[in-house]
Amino acid sequence: MNVTALSTSSRPSPPAGEREPAAKNRALSGFLGSNIFGLIIAIAVFVLLFGLFANGFLSKVNIYSISRSIGINGVIGLAMMTVLVTGGLNLGLGAIAVCSAMVVGWSLQNLGLGIAPSLMIGVLAGAALGAVNGLIVVTTRLHSFVVTLATMSIFFGTMILLSGAQGFNALPRVMTTFGRIRMYGVVSPLLLIMLLVAAILYYIYRYTAFGREMLAAGANPFAAKLSGLPVERLFVWCHALCGAIGAIAGVMASVRNGAVVPSMAGPLGADWLLPAFLAPVLGGTLLTGGSVSVIGAILGTIFVEIITSGLYMLQIGEFWIQTALGLVLLGAILLERGRAAMALQRSTRR
Amino acid sequence: MNLIRNALRADSLGLLLVVLIGGAALSLARPEFLTAYNIDVILVGFSLTVIYALGQGVIIAIGHMNLALGATGCLVAVAFGGSMQVWGLPVWAAMLFGLLIGTFCGFLNGWLTHKSGLTSFIITLATLSIFKGISLGITQAQPFYGVADSVKAFGSDRWGPLPETLLVALPIVIGVALFLGKMIPGRQMLAFGGNPNAAELSGISRARMVILAHTLSGLLAAIAGMMSVARLQLASPAIGDEWLIASFAAPVIGGAVLSGGHLSVVGTCLGVLIVSLINQALVMLAVDPFYVQVMLGALILGAVGLNRLRESRLGNAPVLRLS
Amino acid sequence: MKQSLQRIVFAAAALAVSAMPSLAADVKVALVPGGPHPYFANWEQGGKDAVKDFGIKAADYRVPAKWELGLQNQMIENLTAQGYNAFLIFPGDPVATNSPMADLQAANIPSIATAGCTKDPSPALFCFGTDTGHSAYLGAKELIKTMGGKGTIVHFTGNLVDPNTQLRMDAVAQAVAESNGGIKLLQTIADIDRTPQEADEKINALLAARGKDIDGIITSAWLPAVSSATALRRIGDKRIKMVGIDHDQVVLKAIKDGFVHGTMLQNPYGQAYIGSYVMSEIIGHGCKVNDKAPFKSNALTARFIDSGTGFQGSDGVDDFQNTMKAVTAELMKTFKATYLICP
Repeated sequence: MNVTALSTSSRPSPPAGEREPAAKNRALSGFLGSNIFGLIIAIAVFVLLFGLFANGFLSKVNIYSISRSIGINGVIGLAMMTVLVTGGLNLGLGAIAVCSAMVVGWSLQNLGLGIAPSLMIGVLAGAALGAVNGLIVVTTRLHSFVVTLATMSIFFGTMILLSGAQGFNALPRVMTTFGRIRMYGVVSPLLLIMLLVAAILYYIYRYTAFGREMLAAGANPFAAKLSGLPVERLFVWCHALCGAIGAIAGVMASVRNGAVVPSMAGPLGADWLLPAFLAPVLGGTLLTGGSVSVIGAILGTIFVEIITSGLYMLQIGEFWIQTALGLVLLGAILLERGRAAMALQRSTRR
Repeated sequence: MNLIRNALRADSLGLLLVVLIGGAALSLARPEFLTAYNIDVILVGFSLTVIYALGQGVIIAIGHMNLALGATGCLVAVAFGGSMQVWGLPVWAAMLFGLLIGTFCGFLNGWLTHKSGLTSFIITLATLSIFKGISLGITQAQPFYGVADSVKAFGSDRWGPLPETLLVALPIVIGVALFLGKMIPGRQMLAFGGNPNAAELSGISRARMVILAHTLSGLLAAIAGMMSVARLQLASPAIGDEWLIASFAAPVIGGAVLSGGHLSVVGTCLGVLIVSLINQALVMLAVDPFYVQVMLGALILGAVGLNRLRESRLGNAPVLRLS
Repeated sequence: MKQSLQRIVFAAAALAVSAMPSLAADVKVALVPGGPHPYFANWEQGGKDAVKDFGIKAADYRVPAKWELGLQNQMIENLTAQGYNAFLIFPGDPVATNSPMADLQAANIPSIATAGCTKDPSPALFCFGTDTGHSAYLGAKELIKTMGGKGTIVHFTGNLVDPNTQLRMDAVAQAVAESNGGIKLLQTIADIDRTPQEADEKINALLAARGKDIDGIITSAWLPAVSSATALRRIGDKRIKMVGIDHDQVVLKAIKDGFVHGTMLQNPYGQAYIGSYVMSEIIGHGCKVNDKAPFKSNALTARFIDSGTGFQGSDGVDDFQNTMKAVTAELMKTFKATYLICP
């Protein structure tokens, strides 16, 4: 009776370019019709518009601050993407990120370990918490929504319990100054970390058997199982990967804040859910699983950060800014969709 | 009698047992659990939550999601309160206004989702931002206090042993159950959710299904929004903020499949009750505030895990549902 | 010379900030709360009155659209790019908000932690607000007094991720301890300052379960105060005494009608008004904060100035705003002489 849950073929199909790898002869038309191309255009248009009309948008301060947000939110989006592969999700991403960052702070401040081992412990902690999610999901066969809803509360609650909601504010100088470096006056090193994470993920999904197996398992668990893939184990890996990258995001946010604080992602870490889902989905990652677009997720983050920052610069009035943000987002994706449809039509008419 | 048959179906029975055993244990530990006042508290919470949970449920049924559910409820609450306080509308007119706004918001979600061919996730994320922004813009983050006394009374008064809010919620629950179980558009919605392509081939209109489900969701969100105003005695722009996760949790605990095609109304009701029972227990047993979150998560996992365990004992668990 | 050169370098880094601000007319203050909340609504008026009274260019109330630390930080950066050169900030987090403040400091832009404190060491000039722990302590004392020093109380408070919550819990515990066993703290419910529905459900559940055993309620966060006041009105027998916090209409009306004993007022208007005044003196007239001023200390900082807190009972509850304006005027009389050194 639950076969329907697995049939990804019945979902409305995205434009060709979203599914990689696209057939080579259709690569160009696929690219022109893809939302990667669309996002690039949208980003270019908005940079131009805000550059012309929003006072201060192209100032160094602002470009720097945008680059920093893109760095952190990009990693958050990429973390969620790795678990969207399974067709599931991780509501506890923010909670895992905060818990892992707290572990890093504890290791630095209370254990007195160095930066490298502390970071290692933090990322391992994130991976372990993610793996716990994955294990519960595959053994109980409950939906990851319910599982991560519960574990989000457990992880975050345990962290508050152990820490008494007290953060760690004596991070080593290297870390806090790292967060303030301005490369060429406008680029935050956090952006480079995001690009590094993205490059690794791109490599995994594109060129390794492990990555392709994760995608295959997510696209159709039944078929993957029949063809001999260890679907359960792969899904646990996906969740662990999500936790590990979430931990990186948590540390990045702490570096930005100059301290590890339990409140950085809001109650239960739930404030991060929006950027976490928005970027990959805008970039063409399917919520039904089995497909990713690393580049799309990054472009999605850039797009969102640019319109957010630009709208603030226009001084619309804070209470209306959310409305404007929604309208711009809606308008942009609808226009993009119209453009993609036309591009595809033109290419199929040949 | 669809309801009774539904209740006896395997996936809801387990949840029912969880609710009954949990309730019994709690009333043994704390006899006050069964006082009229406390039952009233539970039922008022239930009335509100079940309406917006079903508002999400009808969307889950077609395999979509409505992230803007809470924002719709919020906008309606603000419009309802504001039209009474600022425009001095009578209650019935304000209610009508609220219902219209909610229905329109839902229709807009459905229409945009259908026309764009994009996932409802993106569309409702954008409208969430729009609706919430309008609510904040109108109110400047201040609640409207000018709620009519009759509305306030509705939120507090009882009819016999039952809170008046339940008298609104119950017919809605039954209505949604009948709609999905008996009526043609409802059954079509489930069929469409199970397999959109097959449904389309058999002549079910995609546009109609998508718009219908979203409009219904908007309507339910509107009712829940106005009910919140009655309960809280003010129209705050923070109404609806906590609906999102709760609205998914109840149907999913109740056995709904996020990819569509299946929604148990009884299961959803039990899902709402389980979560509220857990919250009650944490308050009544005076759990240390620092332990509350941990216990909450563990109990949710325990409750749904127990149900799943029972299912697999009976051998009717899905063979492979990994996502 | 060297100093002004340094200034120019800093200003260049901040780009939009003018190089040598020297007139009050150049002072542009941003009042940035942590997110939309009725508490801060009076900031807007305080800012407007400050513009009128001190001739500064602007004192604008700029609210992040959501309660999110990241969003507030981003907004502060954004406002800097828009040319604001003085900030009154409600710290989204006592520790983490030091980071954007340090960025501001590096660009030679002063900031004051307003309505809540940042944790030392902080780049903020000082903290100007309500001493949260002290306010909860006074509220609990007032409650215990009206209960005649005997009975059982419950405490409804804010979110545990906010370290202030722990301070409030400690303060109530201290007041209870000082009652020499007369008062028992039955239970504390935290994490209910996020949404009104959550507060409503948990508070009513507790009143339903243990209402008979409860003689008093102390609340130390906005939403729980509103929900408790509504619940007590609903119960209607006026047996349970309550001391709330802040000035929500629901709470004030409940005080007037006798369902609530009183509330601990804070002074958001004065925070914005006096804070903007300080900025106009510092930027416009070259004043400095007197490091030897008689600052108070609290759990977060040693540079704390109380913006005034006070118990508001049913007497004069209608013109509580005048009460706060009077407190503000009183503070203003000695503020400059006490806390600033001017050329």
